[in-house]
Amino acid sequence: MERSQYIILFLIIFITVIPTVYFLLNRTGIIILKKELKSIIYSPIAWIIVSLVMLLNGFSFTAALEILRKNDIDETLVCYTFSSTSFWFTYFFIFPVITMRLFAEENKVGTIETLLTAPVKTIHVLLAKYFSSLLFYIILWIPSVVNFILLWLSSKENSEAIGSLGGAYTIVLLLGIFNLSIGCLTSALTKNQLVAAMACFTFCMLHFLIGFILQDLPVPDLWRNGLFYVSTVNHVEVFINGLIDTRQLVYYLSFTALILLLTYNILEFRKWKA
Amino acid sequence: MIKVSNLSKKYVGKPAVDNISFNVESGEIVGFLGPNGAGKTTTIRMLTGYIPPTSGTALIGGYDIFQDSINAKQKIGYMPENVPLYDDMRVREYLLFRAELKGLRGQDVRKHMNEALELCSIKDIKGQMISSLSKGFRQRVGLADALINKPPLLILDEPTNGLDPSQIRSFRELIKELAENHTILISTHILNEVELTCDRVLIINKGKMIGNNTPLELSEKIKSSTTINLELKSQDQDIRDTILNISGIKKVTLEKEENGWKFIRIRIDYGNDLREEIMNLGKKRNWLIREIHYQRSNLEDAYIEMIQNKHK
Repeated sequence: MERSQYIILFLIIFITVIPTVYFLLNRTGIIILKKELKSIIYSPIAWIIVSLVMLLNGFSFTAALEILRKNDIDETLVCYTFSSTSFWFTYFFIFPVITMRLFAEENKVGTIETLLTAPVKTIHVLLAKYFSSLLFYIILWIPSVVNFILLWLSSKENSEAIGSLGGAYTIVLLLGIFNLSIGCLTSALTKNQLVAAMACFTFCMLHFLIGFILQDLPVPDLWRNGLFYVSTVNHVEVFINGLIDTRQLVYYLSFTALILLLTYNILEFRKWKA
Repeated sequence: MIKVSNLSKKYVGKPAVDNISFNVESGEIVGFLGPNGAGKTTTIRMLTGYIPPTSGTALIGGYDIFQDSINAKQKIGYMPENVPLYDDMRVREYLLFRAELKGLRGQDVRKHMNEALELCSIKDIKGQMISSLSKGFRQRVGLADALINKPPLLILDEPTNGLDPSQIRSFRELIKELAENHTILISTHILNEVELTCDRVLIINKGKMIGNNTPLELSEKIKSSTTINLELKSQDQDIRDTILNISGIKKVTLEKEENGWKFIRIRIDYGNDLREEIMNLGKKRNWLIREIHYQRSNLEDAYIEMIQNKHK
């Protein structure tokens, strides 16, 4: 490996593993995480999302199978499944629904006050809430893996798709990590869950499509190219073809860290308005 | 237990709490009294470490709430105004969560929860959803949460707000019971409550500390003046002046007039009961008197007087 790659690897470890380990070593963080996860899992809305996501995954999977059966194309099944419009259109509704209540509800009811006046650190509260949403997001995707496993079991020779499958789920996980942090931020900003949800949805969607939107706008080329480079759509294409690009890894993880840092400062905001 | 020195909080340059200092000793029940918007909640939020002060310090059980907040927070059981609770949890579940959050482990969690349930007499509702509880029970759940890890200090912000009279009474009894093992700071704008439960009253108005007394001292303080209320019927135009002529009378005001009846308020020195003189005067002038009432001063007068004086 080159030196720059070592630096990248070190960066990734620094911004992800260290906070995670720091969090896991702390009891109060785990207690809040458990409570948050419980309140997600006990609420009916969580199971509505799970079933809707399963339904949509089922649709795009079946549709992809149909395409492959009728046409003789070189693309893999994963590519078709993860590039269907219905999949991506609904995909961005998941984040606001999971994250909107995280802080907005506590701000509204006032429980944020009892929570933060207990002997806990704000950073633990933030990480606990963030990780709880991330865990639920991961749970959400487990059923969809089953589709591919079943197919893989029935036709063993289709093994070259493993790379593409891994790439696809890596980008789904990365997007989850990134977009959930945006959800945390918008939820911490407001008392109103609806505002939080709308803001989160807009940001995620904008980030996803920014490259395309700018194609038709009269902006300097430098902007267009720069923003096209951060636009999620392009990353997805690279990943579902089985290439795990470290640049994107660093991009998403470091931005997540930045956004969580912003969220932390918003939670502490009341401490510095004076 | 609490040691506050020169605590100030400014919002956008406007002082919400202005340079207050006070101490609360272990075992005391202290009432924190003031009209709405006086800065009670701001002060309490600073004491519990929710917001930092612009200047000044607060020590809780020897720990600075801002420098050493985790240790200081361990010592506080705090019940905020309006008792925020998670509506989607059951009472038992909520208290277990709070107990663990406050650092209890293993066997202690359940033991402490049961004791808190017992103390606040909410054993019967421990399986209920918090969203289905009445205001009185919510208050008790909030209190159970505040005392679950047996902190030496309880800080209750307007604990009887929104309760009905019988609930207020039982809540008051509960607080008296708790006072045996806890130092308690209660904020309120209801005087009656302070008079009945507290050892000491801190009065705050417009962010400034204007009183630090026992309830008794406080009522003594304004005993320097008392009022007599008088209702009479007469055609005389010089009633005010004639009453003022009696020696010892400080001020006479005609409050209102209704169907010929005049309502008069007379200020006198404390202990100088001039009712007889006034009655004699009335007899002489042929006034028709239907009521004369010597108003004993109470905490309420003291309080209102103090606040209004500071306004001027």
